[in-house]
Amino acid sequence: MTSLLEVQRVSKSFGGLHALSDVSFEVGAGEIFAVIGPNGAGKTTLFNCLAGAATLTSGAIRLGGQRIDGRPPHEICRRGLARTFQLVKPFRGMTVLENVKVAAFSRYPSTKQATAAARAVLDRIGMAGLAEHDAETLNVAQLRQLEIARALATEPQLLLLDEMLAGLTPTESTAMCERIRQLPRAGIAVIVVEHSIPVVTSLCARAVVLCFGKVLTQGSTCEVIANPRVQEAYLGNAQS
Amino acid sequence: MSNFRTATIVAGVLLVAFAAVSGDRYFMDIFIFTCFYGTLAVCWNMMAGLTGLMSLGHALFVGIGAYSVAWGLSVHGWSPLVTWPLGVGLAVAAAAAIGMLCFRYGLRGYFFAIATLAFGEVAFFTVSATEALGRSDGMIMPISAEDIPGQLQFFEKWPYALIIMTILIGTIAIGEALMKSRTGYYWRALRDNEQAAEALGVNARAFKLRCFMLSAGISALCGAFYANYVAFVDPRSVLGVELSIQMLVYSIVGGMSLLWGPLIGAAVLVPFSILLRDYSAIPGSDIVVYAVLLAVLALVLPQGIAGWFVARWQRRRLARRASRTAEVVS
Ligand SMILES: Nc1ncnc2c1ncn2[C@@H]1O[C@H](COP(=O)(O)OP(=O)(O)OP(=O)(O)O)[C@@H](O)[C@H]1O
Ligand SMILES: [Mg+2]
Repeated sequence: MTSLLEVQRVSKSFGGLHALSDVSFEVGAGEIFAVIGPNGAGKTTLFNCLAGAATLTSGAIRLGGQRIDGRPPHEICRRGLARTFQLVKPFRGMTVLENVKVAAFSRYPSTKQATAAARAVLDRIGMAGLAEHDAETLNVAQLRQLEIARALATEPQLLLLDEMLAGLTPTESTAMCERIRQLPRAGIAVIVVEHSIPVVTSLCARAVVLCFGKVLTQGSTCEVIANPRVQEAYLGNAQS
Repeated sequence: MSNFRTATIVAGVLLVAFAAVSGDRYFMDIFIFTCFYGTLAVCWNMMAGLTGLMSLGHALFVGIGAYSVAWGLSVHGWSPLVTWPLGVGLAVAAAAAIGMLCFRYGLRGYFFAIATLAFGEVAFFTVSATEALGRSDGMIMPISAEDIPGQLQFFEKWPYALIIMTILIGTIAIGEALMKSRTGYYWRALRDNEQAAEALGVNARAFKLRCFMLSAGISALCGAFYANYVAFVDPRSVLGVELSIQMLVYSIVGGMSLLWGPLIGAAVLVPFSILLRDYSAIPGSDIVVYAVLLAVLALVLPQGIAGWFVARWQRRRLARRASRTAEVVS
């Protein structure tokens, strides 16, 4: 398996707080990979570092063999890494289609092509019926879908999904999982941050566990979940 | 012409208004000032309303344009062919410098507003103390008894009206073309959520800078026109913070979410305030009436006059379109 993303000894501190220390892992092309860990483990911080929204304290990140750490977010996006936000961030003054167009413009500078590309993405993920709706009028599930649609419209090789299932009904979350499972077929690797263990085991072959910013363990999802230290970290979190 | 629908409508309305006032020097003057402030408000709002960059120092760029013309003509006898591009060039360069500084350090919202205000005030006090620019007394530009078209000196007012109309229509046309292109989408995305925009491939700094430079350039163009029209510039009228505030007020009253909203604000308030000033019996009463009108408008129409109309119209259109697509899908 060739590595699409290489994360090498990445550390990130906020003042004295070590949000990430010495985190290393690799993600292959076309893989669905999980980052799990209790609240405050540093999962979102890791995504921010990967996407260029936060600068590393030390370490290196490579996408397709090229360093992307230290590059600004828009450039990392152009290189093929897209992310969604844990707290969804739609452009409220725009319709769903316009939201997706903003993303499509990163690949197609002409309005006509960007519109066509944005429509194609909406069709693909089953949101065509909402194209002309104001982003403000969407419900939680639709906003999450819009986040994914926008990320896909940047035509990524690697997609980072931050807790896309939180707050969804079981039906909605099954549909969302199905959609995520389709992505590798389109040549898109995915990293999911997810709290629900059944979802992680069903979606991802491999996972890394973060706890207080450190890698607790990584490997095949089943092994990782069975690890007593992981059990303890989660149980400890649940009891607190 | 569907790509320039707004610009076409604005041009049509302006021509009708121009024809209506062409017989009367006083009304022509009001018309010219309405276009002048309207253009300024529109280009200010390209930053504030459409891109989310609230500048409180825009008078700086008007001043650069106006003083380039006044200084160039009085000291060197330069023609507008030299002074106008000079003023615009200097203003764009100043905006680039200020913008790079502000955006580099991530200034936005109130902080950007205060930074621009500070730059504007520095320019105001510097010019007010500069001998070569006439200090706070300003500069009176030489006027000859006869018309000199090459120096944009006319006795009649209509040539000035045509010039400022052209600038205004051009501004709307440029703005309209940009708003339909990638640039316009990026501006609106940056206004709503910069972090999300950047994650979707928007080079925030570059596009904010582009907006700032364009807006400053148009402001300087207006300033240059002002100098040639009034033939007198002083720090208060072209560099003062009052001028920056005027752009803000017209935009809020007209509607900041729309390219042409501020123009409506100016079209209502500029003639109103001039007439009030000239015809109010008690000195100062015009200010009171004006302030009350502003407060009432802000209360009744928080989205602005144009914003209110468009919101009503759009809600209907979107509902219609949504029901149509729902039918197609089902
Ligand atoms: N900008 C910041 N400034 C200071 N501290 C931060 C910042 N961002 C995150 N942190 C801290 O870093 C740690 C990791 O936070 P992070 O949001 O990455 O956790 P998480 O694993 O995503 O948690 P959750 O499951 O709740 O989303 C937390 O202690 C958090 O308070
Ligand atoms: Mg998080």
